[in-house]
Parts: sequence; structure tokens; C-alpha cells
Amino acid sequence: MAYAYLFKYIIIGDTGVGKSCLLLQFTDKRFQPVHDLTIGVEFGARMITIDGKQIKLQIWDTAGQEAFRSITRSYYRGAAGALLVYDITRRDTFNHLTTWLEDARQHSNSNMVIMLIGNKSDLESRREVKKEEGEAFAREHGLVFMETSAKTAANVEEAFINTAKEIYEKIQEGVFDINNEANGIKIGPQHSNAGAGGAGGAGAGGAPPGGCC
Amino acid sequence: MLSRFSDVLQTAADVLAPPATRLEDFEYHWKMVVNFYQNYEESSKVHFEDTRVPHHLHQMLQLIVDEEKEQQGGTVGPCLEAVIQRSVGVLDALSLLVSVDRPPGARYSALTLATSLLRRTRSPCLNSPHVYRPLQRMLLICNESPASPTEKEEVELLLTLCGLVRKEPGLANIFTTPFVEDTASLMMIPEDIKTLIPIKSKAQTPKKNPLFEVDMAPNPLKTVSIVRVNKDDNYVQSSSSAGDDNVSSKSHKTVYDDNDKFLLIDLLLSYLDSADNQVVLRACEGVLIVSSLAEDDIAALVTGCSPACERLAARLQRRYRALPPDLDPAAVDQLSITWAYVAQDFGDKNYNNFYGYRELTAFFSWLDYIDTLMKECHPIIACHLSRAFRTQFLEPAAEELAEPRSAILATAVLAKCLRVLDSQDLVNEFSSWLAGEGEGGAGEWGPLRALALRCLRGDHDLTLETLRFFEAVIEKGTEHSIDRLVLSRVCARAYRAAGPALQDERERLNDLSLARERERARESLATDERAGGLLAHADDNIHRVVNSFLLLLPRGVQSQPLADCEHYVHDAQRHYQLWLDITSTYNWPTEVTCADTASSTHSYDSRPEADLHLDDAFAPVHAHCEPKPSRGACGGAGGCAFTQALVLRSRDAPTTSEEEFDAGPFLKMLFKLLSTMPDQPYQVNLHLTSIISKLALLPHPNLHEYLLNPDLPTAKTTPTLFKTLQEVARRLTMEVPRIKNYKKVIENTRLQLMSEDPSYDEIGSHNQLVESLIVLEEFCKELAAIAFVKHQHQLQQQPHQHQR
Ligand SMILES: Nc1nc2c(ncn2[C@@H]2O[C@H](COP(=O)(O)OP(=O)(O)OP(=O)(O)O)[C@@H](O)[C@H]2O)c(=O)[nH]1
Ligand SMILES: [Mg+2]
Repeated sequence: MAYAYLFKYIIIGDTGVGKSCLLLQFTDKRFQPVHDLTIGVEFGARMITIDGKQIKLQIWDTAGQEAFRSITRSYYRGAAGALLVYDITRRDTFNHLTTWLEDARQHSNSNMVIMLIGNKSDLESRREVKKEEGEAFAREHGLVFMETSAKTAANVEEAFINTAKEIYEKIQEGVFDINNEANGIKIGPQHSNAGAGGAGGAGAGGAPPGGCC
Repeated sequence: MLSRFSDVLQTAADVLAPPATRLEDFEYHWKMVVNFYQNYEESSKVHFEDTRVPHHLHQMLQLIVDEEKEQQGGTVGPCLEAVIQRSVGVLDALSLLVSVDRPPGARYSALTLATSLLRRTRSPCLNSPHVYRPLQRMLLICNESPASPTEKEEVELLLTLCGLVRKEPGLANIFTTPFVEDTASLMMIPEDIKTLIPIKSKAQTPKKNPLFEVDMAPNPLKTVSIVRVNKDDNYVQSSSSAGDDNVSSKSHKTVYDDNDKFLLIDLLLSYLDSADNQVVLRACEGVLIVSSLAEDDIAALVTGCSPACERLAARLQRRYRALPPDLDPAAVDQLSITWAYVAQDFGDKNYNNFYGYRELTAFFSWLDYIDTLMKECHPIIACHLSRAFRTQFLEPAAEELAEPRSAILATAVLAKCLRVLDSQDLVNEFSSWLAGEGEGGAGEWGPLRALALRCLRGDHDLTLETLRFFEAVIEKGTEHSIDRLVLSRVCARAYRAAGPALQDERERLNDLSLARERERARESLATDERAGGLLAHADDNIHRVVNSFLLLLPRGVQSQPLADCEHYVHDAQRHYQLWLDITSTYNWPTEVTCADTASSTHSYDSRPEADLHLDDAFAPVHAHCEPKPSRGACGGAGGCAFTQALVLRSRDAPTTSEEEFDAGPFLKMLFKLLSTMPDQPYQVNLHLTSIISKLALLPHPNLHEYLLNPDLPTAKTTPTLFKTLQEVARRLTMEVPRIKNYKKVIENTRLQLMSEDPSYDEIGSHNQLVESLIVLEEFCKELAAIAFVKHQHQLQQQPHQHQR
């Protein structure tokens, strides 16, 4: 279970768009046809491999209902990635994206990678939002875009993994400060040299307080 | 077996007969449940999940969910209506299953089924007594046995109820005194259900539940609504069957007596102490949901009828006390914790990574929770909670600060607390606790005075940690704390001396050696690209300020005589802008004033000359007059120049104030430490100078004048930054050249310090004297840069200021 990195993700978007189903499909590979309203945060985790490295995704599934915004917001902090989900069969969920995006940008760190997801692609006959519209929105706001189906599992793996790849690249480019846990990234145990009792000490840029002499 | 067979029969019958209505199906499944229990052998070892009961109950749930989809205009379908009318007492039955847990596992399923019913339907008619009472009964029964194996499911149901209240605030009423009966009667399983499901074991004799000791009014269902709901509740009409029991009546009551309870919050609080972090998380979410409701009445219930705020704050104090005393203070700074984090990460053994980590994260995650709650909750609750934060946590924490054994750690932890707090209310509470509020007297300063004084006791570790604490106080910069720390001392401008001191000043100006010094300064300016080339357009006065700092140390002992201070200028620009933003709402003067002249015998303000020539020395930085920069207009000793102009026009300076200037414990401490720089470790000096440069950056005209005007006329006894620096410089200039090969030593020390090699600090032998020389040298550059940046900013803001 040792991993090189741990990334924290959040899943956000209107109620009923399929956030919990996406998580369940990704972690358990199954689909849940009933809508069990999420109220508090639900956690999921899965190990993936990128560039030969084991990466643990720690996923926080949030509540989409307006009434629970105050809790949802408080979970944004310290996320490295976000899946912003809308339902391609419900135009209103697409129309609310701007609000979600503003909320997310305001309450999370600026480097957070955001993946826009148009879910329920299996319901082609009931589609209300064209794929091109999703693409355009993503382009305009600098997001990555994908259409998925939590039911058929189409693109679900890709959505989670591609987000991780983006984060991984940002780490390589040095955009993310991986030593700051507030960025939603943690270095796995075999990478950090913080052994038992070796707390702090080698902090960046200087000596531990407590002085010398 | 039998039941399965009858299911098959039913299906077969369905094929032949006209399809049964939903309600018939519903009643059928209910009958099957009852049948099971009528024939149930209590000695049987069979598990609940291995019986047909869950199947029937799930079918019933599904029927309710399905019928709702077809229901129009929020009307109630026949199955749910049967529950509301209690012709099908399935919810009471579930509460019985929670109580008896027969067959084993029934309790778990009953709780999850109830939760599912509430989560999968849009309007589960919670306002009907036959819906809410069984649910309350379940939770109360569960509450009788804390830390039960079904804790997770219990709190999940509780959170779901919070969610429903969140959507329909009027529902809060069903959790308040007039609507909840006393424990005994509420927990009593109705007799008819006991007959239908005759389980003899575990006859429920409710214990006295402290949660719920209410002296009951005779009619528990009288229509008193504590919570007023402003919007029209259409859901009320939707369930006509609820009839008179309807809890959302418009009458209200806002006075509570001691027996008033808010069951919802009390239940939530009882899960906060669970050993399971997931359970605690849910309870926290519940509290957050209920506390952030907009209704004043609910907020008043939370603060007036429940110990919620006190409990939350006391928990912080407990976690603070649980920190191991020998925890490494350095570990504190590295943490980055959000409140829900604990629930998720404590399962991860990898992160139990240093001694005390668990306790430390437990404490800071709770602090983050309170901070989050403060930002989201109703103002009434915020007010109450911030007071509890102070009395339950901060004030007891002060003891730890004073205790020698725990002082260093406590200081580090509290500094970190201040750094991470985001709620302005809490930051303000922190600062008024720290800096005191009253006027006059020793207590006026709060713990701040003791903190300042102990920096002078020569315990370098403690001094260092305390300085870091002060850094946090200044960085967090509330108007109140900055005022207490420094501004209250300089606002009367009592640091300015008159008469004799000015005489000295004039003599000093005529002094030959000084003239030489100034000559040298001018020369050096010829090559003064080292000041970042930014002095090129500056006028004479700022030249003098900058040079006073840059030439404080003779070149002979400077480690880097030709270095530039460009990066200091950049940093100062950035930080100054930040400060301008932060303080833009502060009630700070834009010009040097003698406000609050209590300690001053004159009012400098009233003098026209002063207004014209002196008090505009630090011109308004926030005023928006003519933002176009026009440097030419400011060439001479005009209005926008720094205060050096003072000296030359000091004839009409004020007469001496009899009282001595009192810099206050904080500034005194800073100057004292500054004067002993050569005797202190590098880290102490680094933080010390960093605090002073932060103060020098503040856009307050008096503070600016006091700290950054090297030629300020002051009484002999009045300490100033520049005088203190001169003193240190004098000492270093004398002592450093006595070191053998001192130039080489200076050069090496500089290299080592700049390499930022962490191992350097672990080396035993340090040349503190030379280190402090280098700190001083850098500090002077920084001060010069700050003076310059502020001057430049002023030029841009106030091109024609002198023409006012
Ligand atoms: N056909 C189809 N249905 C889906 C898909 N994803 C989710 N659903 C259905 O949509 C409904 C809502 O899904 P959830 O995942 O519970 O919705 P959510 O976004 O978590 O909603 P909240 O928790 O309220 O914020 C459920 O009934 C799912 O079965 C999908 O890809 N295809
Ligand atoms: Mg969900």
C-alpha cells in the first residue's frame, strides 16, 4: 500500500448529476441506480499508476444540493484536483457551472486542476447539452473536458486518471509545492525522509527554531 | 421459506387478477413483516439479513419512492399516507427493531432504512408526528447506549434529519421542547406495535437520559412554534393529514426557560466524543448545517438551549492540553490540516509520522472546524462561539504560556493558531485577548506585556519562539493589536523632543565630522547603482535617509560593500502594497498627527507652519488625488519629502513636553534586543529585524516618522531605531576588527549564512558577533529600501501635495 504521492480530489456539481455514482464506478466498478442524496462528504480512495509510480487518489464526494453549500465549500481547501460534473440531460446543471467554478476558485488553491465532466453520456436520446458546448466552456475557462457515463463506465477511469496526470505534470514542472500539504499533495512514506521522531528540522530555508550555540 | 412461497403465489396471482394497487402491495409487504414476527422464535440464531424481512421492508421503501415520482403538486401518495395515518405502523415497527435488534442485525437495517426513506424521497412528511416521533424514538434509544456498533448509522440518520431541517427550517420545531415528550413517554413503544411484533426480550425501561430531562407541559403537542418561519410553507398544506399536530404554526415563542431543549443539537453533541472519526465528522457536519441556518430563532436555540458553543470550545482546550509537552515546536509550523482531514487520514498509518503528530493534528483540525463554523454560522452563534473560544480556550491557554515548562511549545502552538485562523471574528477575539482591552493599569496589556518582558530574560529559545509569535501578531495585523503594540505609543507624537534636543540637532548639523560624513554619502551616491539604481530620481531628503541607513556601518566592516539592495526594494514594494490593502479600512491618519494628546502638552496640529511643512512629511497614502506621477514637481524640500526637512525648520518646534516618551513594553523590548544583537543567536536577530521591518512598512505616518527618520529630534532618553542601530554599529565597528583576519571571517560567515544550509545551525561554533554584523548590514539595506519604496509610492500618489 505504499505510494509515491497522494492526491486529494473533490467532486462537485449540482445534485443528481451523478457525482456519487462516478465515484462508486471508479472505486467499486459498479453502478447505483437510485439517487441517495449526499449530505456530508463521502470518501473514496483508489490506487493508480502514472509514469510507473503508485499514486493514491483520495476522493471527496460532496453534496450538490444548494442547502448544503456551506459544508461543501469547506471541503474545497487543500484539493489538488476537482471533477466538476454536470448532467448532459439537464441544461440547468450546465448553466450552473459558472457558479460552481467561481466557488471552487475562491475556496481552493489556485493551482487546482479542474476536469469538467458531462455525465450520463449513455442517455443520448435525452441529451440537452451538446458535447461542443461542454468543450467550449472548458476551453474558455481553461479546464480539461470529458463526457462520461457512470452507468456504462465509459470514460470514468480516464476522467480520474487524466486529472491525476495533469497534477503529476504540474509537479514535474514545479508548479505545485509538494512540501506544502495545503496543495492537496502528499509525498508517500518511502519518499519523505521523515522517520519516526524526525519531525520538522530540515525545514526549507533555514534552521529549526530553537537556535544554535 | 413460507414467506418466499407466498411471494411466488402473489406473483402468480398478479398474472391472473387485475394488478394490485401500490397500496395493496405496500400493505401486503407490511403483513409479511408482521407475519414473520408473529412466528419468530427468539432463540433463533438466524441473522436479520438472512430473513425475508429486509426484502419486504425495502419493497415498502421502493413503493413510497416510486409513488412520489407520480405524485403531482407535492401531494402525498397512498403508501406514505398510510404511514402518516399510521394504518401501517412501519416506522414504529422500525423503532422497535432498533430497540430489540431481533433478529440480530435488525437495528442496523432499521436505521439505514429510515435514513434511506428520508434521503430518497423529496418530501417524507417529517412534520407528521407518526413520522417524526418514531425517528426521534430511534435516536433516543440509540443514545441510551453510547458507542454502540451502529453509531455510524445512527449519526447518518441524525445528519439526514439536519439536512431536512436545513431545507425546511420550520421542522426545527419538532426537536424543541413543546413537541418532544419526556424521555419515558417518547421512548415507549406503542402497545399495538408490541402486539404485532411480540418480542419479549429487552423490555425497554428507559433510563434517565440526561440529554433529555424536560419537565413536560401537559400537552406535548400544543401548537407552539419556537421557530418562526417567514416563508409560506407549502409543505404544510401538502400533508393535510398532519392536521392539528402540524408543527409549523405561525405562533412563536422566543423566551426560553431552563428546561427548554433543542434535541437536534444535543443529540449531535453526544456523537462528538465518539472514538470513530467518521462519526465525529458527521456530527460536525450536522452542527454546521444547523448552525448556518438563517433563522434567528434557531440560532437563539443553539446558543440559549444547548451548551453547543461551550462544548465545542472546551473540546479545543482539551485537545490543546493533550499535546505532549515534549513535542518539537518546529513540527508545529509544518502542519497543514483541514477539519475533515482527520476522519480520512487517521486510517493511514503512514501519516502517523512523528511524535505527537496525532495529538497535534487532532488539535489543529478542531481549530479549523471552529474556524469554519465561525465563518458559516449565524451571527448570534458566531458571537457566542467566539466568546466561548476566548473563555474556554484562550484564557486557560494563557496559563500554559506562563508555565516555564510549556512556554515554548505553547507559544509556538498559539502563534500557529493565529496564523491559520481565517475567521475575522476569531482573529479579533484573539487579538483583544492578547493585547487587552481596558484603558490604563498593568492589566491593560493582556498577556502581551508578559510576552514582551520575557524576551529580555536571556533565554534565547524562548525569545525566538516569542518573536515568532509577535511576527504572527503583526502579520495577522488587526487594527486593535497593532494599535496596542505600537501605535498607541506613537500617536501622540511624544517621541519628538523640542528645545534643547533640537539645539543639539542643529549643532550636530554644523558638526564638521558630520559634514564629512554627509560628503562621503554624496560621493557614494555617484556610484549608487547599488541601491538598485532607483535613487537616480530621488530628491535630496530621501537620499539622506537611505544613506543614513546604508552608511551606518563603515565600509571596512561591511561584508558586501558593493552589493545592491534591489531585491529588498522589490520585496518592500510587494509587502507595502499588501499592507496598503489590509489597512485601507483602518481608521489610520494619513498625515502625522498628535492625536490623543493626553500625554502631550501641545497640539502640534494646530500650527499652520507645522501643517505646511512638517505634517505632510508622510503624506496621505490612501487619498486619491491626482494619481499621475510627476516627479519633477517634488524636487525640492517640498511637501512630499521625508521628514528631514523638519530639522531645518525646527525653530518653531513645540516646547518640550514634561513627560518622558514611553515607548511601551513592546517597542522597548525590540530596541533592547536590537542593542544586544551581538550577544544573540543569528535566528533571534533574524526574527527581530524582520519584525521591525514589518513595523517600518506599516502605512502609519507617525510610526513611519518614528522608525524611519534618522534625523528625528528626540530627547536623549527617548529610544529610537536609528539611535539603537548606531549604538550597535559602533560596538561592532570596534569589536569586529579585533578578530584575527576579520575580513576573511566576515566573508566566510556571509557565505555560510547565505548558503542556507540547514546543517549550519547545528554546528556548535558560531561567530555570533560577525553573524550579527551581517544581519545588521542586511537590515540596514532593508530599511533603506522600505524608506525608499514608501517615499516613491508617495510621489506617485501625491505629485502636487505641497501645493495643497
Ligand atoms: N443513466 C445514467 N444515470 C446516472 C448516471 N450517473 C448517475 N445516474 C443517476 O443519477 C442519479 C443521481 O446520481 P448521484 O450520483 O446520486 O447524484 P449526485 O451528483 O451524487 O447527487 P448529490 O449527492 O445530491 O449531489 C441516480 O439515480 C443515478 O442512478 C449515468 O451515467 N447514467
Ligand atoms: Mg451524491
